[in-house]
Amino acid sequence: MNLEELERQVTYLEDIQEIENLQKMYGYYFDNAMFPEVIDLFSENTESVEITDHGVFRGKAAAVKMYGGMVGMKRPGWMFFEVMQSQGVITVAPDGQTARGRWYTPSFECRPFGGTKKQTWQFGVYDNEYIKENGRWYFKKLHWNLTYWTSYEAGFLKLPRLSDTPFPHADAPATAYHPYPSGYHVPYSFRHPVTGQ
Amino acid sequence: MNIEELERQVQLAEDIQEIEHLQRIYGYYFDNNMWAEICDLFSDNAESVEIVDHGVFYGKKGVRRVYWDMFAGGGSRQNPAWMQFIVMQIGGVVHVDPDGKHARGRWQTLLCEAKTYGAYPRQEWLHGYYENKYVKEDGRWRFSLLHWNNTFCSPFEDGWLNLPLMGWMPLPNADAPPTAFHPYPDHLHAVPYHYQHPITGK
Repeated sequence: MNLEELERQVTYLEDIQEIENLQKMYGYYFDNAMFPEVIDLFSENTESVEITDHGVFRGKAAAVKMYGGMVGMKRPGWMFFEVMQSQGVITVAPDGQTARGRWYTPSFECRPFGGTKKQTWQFGVYDNEYIKENGRWYFKKLHWNLTYWTSYEAGFLKLPRLSDTPFPHADAPATAYHPYPSGYHVPYSFRHPVTGQ
Repeated sequence: MNIEELERQVQLAEDIQEIEHLQRIYGYYFDNNMWAEICDLFSDNAESVEIVDHGVFYGKKGVRRVYWDMFAGGGSRQNPAWMQFIVMQIGGVVHVDPDGKHARGRWQTLLCEAKTYGAYPRQEWLHGYYENKYVKEDGRWRFSLLHWNNTFCSPFEDGWLNLPLMGWMPLPNADAPPTAFHPYPDHLHAVPYHYQHPITGK
């Protein structure tokens, strides 16, 4: 291996590391409701943000609109959203400028629900895209797909989805919202590592 | 990039990998009550250990006092098989100092425990955050400071909304009281970030 090849491989490892950190830091800002910090993780050339059935928000301005709607929102201390960023599989494009990542997210929350406090379990899959600009990795596209959203007491078999939550100011309706027990699986962004298919 | 720069970058990637393994191995020993092995993951120059509201234990002696004297009962404690402490080490963000000898890491943890509480066996969910420090000595990474802060410790039957904290557990032989124990619903921002924002640098 010559020096250039070695350098490419080291850069590739660093890219994966930086993207994994980006995704995990998103989680660590989200759980503390630090939405300005979340917004700053997105590229100026952001394609879209899509979370559960809230709908598609296109472009950085729309991402600001979506997360920004939560900025300064008076939120009681007991409300919380813990989204555990787990099991990332990152695929960096050969040009080293874009990447995709699939993640699992076991989550638990507390939020008001029909006039009462509700504790819930959630599970979902990210299929995200990242872009390297000015030597740093940013989110280019974030898509979190809900598997289930159930009350703590009932569980996902009995109550897979507590309710629908479309946002009125989305640019487009959700593209792939098929919670449990639809059998839907978010398409894989990667090829089979052994067969290449 | 010349060979020295490249070597430094490979070293950094290896360091992060080794630290991540250290943290996860801690979890894999913890769930099997392997307290002697856990003590050996700490530097002889360890700063401190702080777990939930047990209090702060200073130095390697403090490390032994909490894991060996307390958790292992000085080697005499035999936990029944139904007792379990599964601590899942999730979402590590590790940063190595420019000197390559010190590092810090933020993690979160989801736990499923079964233990006696009062006189009864209880099953519980717990969540918490680590902000830990690591040090490289003799070419190996070790813990220099471990701080695990509890978000909630709730019975399986009630959940974190109804019963966020089952009870207080200060240990009588701690060197100092806990520094940042604010369980749910006062948990937000209880554990400061060791890193700056990756884009804005703030």
